[in-house]
Amino acid sequence: MKKRLFSILYMFLLTFFFTSIVSAVKIYSQAKIETNQRVKLQRIILDVLRMPVGEGISNRRVVELFDQRVRETEGKDRTLYVGYAEDGRAITGYAFPVGGPGFWGPIYGMVAVDPSGTEILGVAFYKHSETPGLGARITEDWFTKQFRGLPLRPEEAKKKIFYLKSAGTAQAGNELDAVTGATGTSRAVEAFLNKELAHFLKDIWPEVRKKG
Amino acid sequence: MPKRLTNTQIFVQGLWNDNPVLRQVLGICSTLAVTNLLVNTLVMNAGLVFTVTMSSLTVSLLRKYTPMRIRMMAQTLIIASYVIIVDISIAAYLPDISEALGPYVGLIITNCIVMGRCEAYARNNPPWPSFLDGLAMSLGYSCVLLVIALVREPLGFGTILGQRIMPDGFTPWTIMIMAPGAFFTLGLLVWFLRAYFPLVTQEKKER
Repeated sequence: MKKRLFSILYMFLLTFFFTSIVSAVKIYSQAKIETNQRVKLQRIILDVLRMPVGEGISNRRVVELFDQRVRETEGKDRTLYVGYAEDGRAITGYAFPVGGPGFWGPIYGMVAVDPSGTEILGVAFYKHSETPGLGARITEDWFTKQFRGLPLRPEEAKKKIFYLKSAGTAQAGNELDAVTGATGTSRAVEAFLNKELAHFLKDIWPEVRKKG
Repeated sequence: MPKRLTNTQIFVQGLWNDNPVLRQVLGICSTLAVTNLLVNTLVMNAGLVFTVTMSSLTVSLLRKYTPMRIRMMAQTLIIASYVIIVDISIAAYLPDISEALGPYVGLIITNCIVMGRCEAYARNNPPWPSFLDGLAMSLGYSCVLLVIALVREPLGFGTILGQRIMPDGFTPWTIMIMAPGAFFTLGLLVWFLRAYFPLVTQEKKER
């Protein structure tokens, strides 16, 4: 009996001790982790809005730029990030988060459209579980840059906004190069991004227009 | 009780004779998962070295007080605490790598090497040798991972630490990036070592 009580007490004290240490470390690092995540998102938003955030730009500069040039506003089912020109008046674009099923897991990204809502300014993917070197290449510049200037209103109502074709065979304006060796990921991106863009144009954009 | 090993012997055991990956075939999951980029491998190794040495040290310090029946529970708690500390630190100071490693840092908790060393060595030995044993074993693990990463990154991406080293015409071997590439590399490595550097005991048995 005494032995059992000792075991319980021992485990209790040990747990108490280690949980305290872990909690202390967590509290100490919490702010830093949150800043990291916030800055990462801000960098992505600025990037799709085509504001200058290259590799060399420090985190502090990113936060500054974001505070100056971007305002958040609530859209129908997601936050919209409105980009302003340097004078702080003219709107340069609207960014909004998108997401959908990838090949291995969900993919999250950010899309920006121009102020008139007729073409895409930029696209970025920031969270995914695709294979490194294959599907994960959707985050690379050559892939995301293709979306710049993509017209958002298809000529025929039934057509998708864009199609991913095997690299090198893309011809029409709405055909982009897929990632070679990652057919699954490319198909998934084509499916979910088209759906999200259509949803944005149909359900979110009219409201944005009204607000002016 | 077996005779206590000298410090040098502890290192020879951990790095070579009893190498956790090559001889004991432990910790294979993370070996396969994080070796496609050298930089990920380095961070993972640092995390494992910290966890194994600190857990071994702690388990050894508490060895005389921990009741036999609940020792596994206590060990798991100790290991988990250190791993969470590593995980939080990486997320705070190396956010990009933290994302690339994904769940694998947290999975150090279930890495057989950590609990294996606590059970097999630290709970019966004084703190200092236990610390050294943990260090030797985790360095043994690290060396193997580095070798595999040094094969996989150049062949799979054509780079080392992100610097291009392969000639321009080189086509990256996609398979090297994925898990099968690691299986082949590890398999060849184990085969090579067993074939050309058999252990003394192994030799005796074969004769």
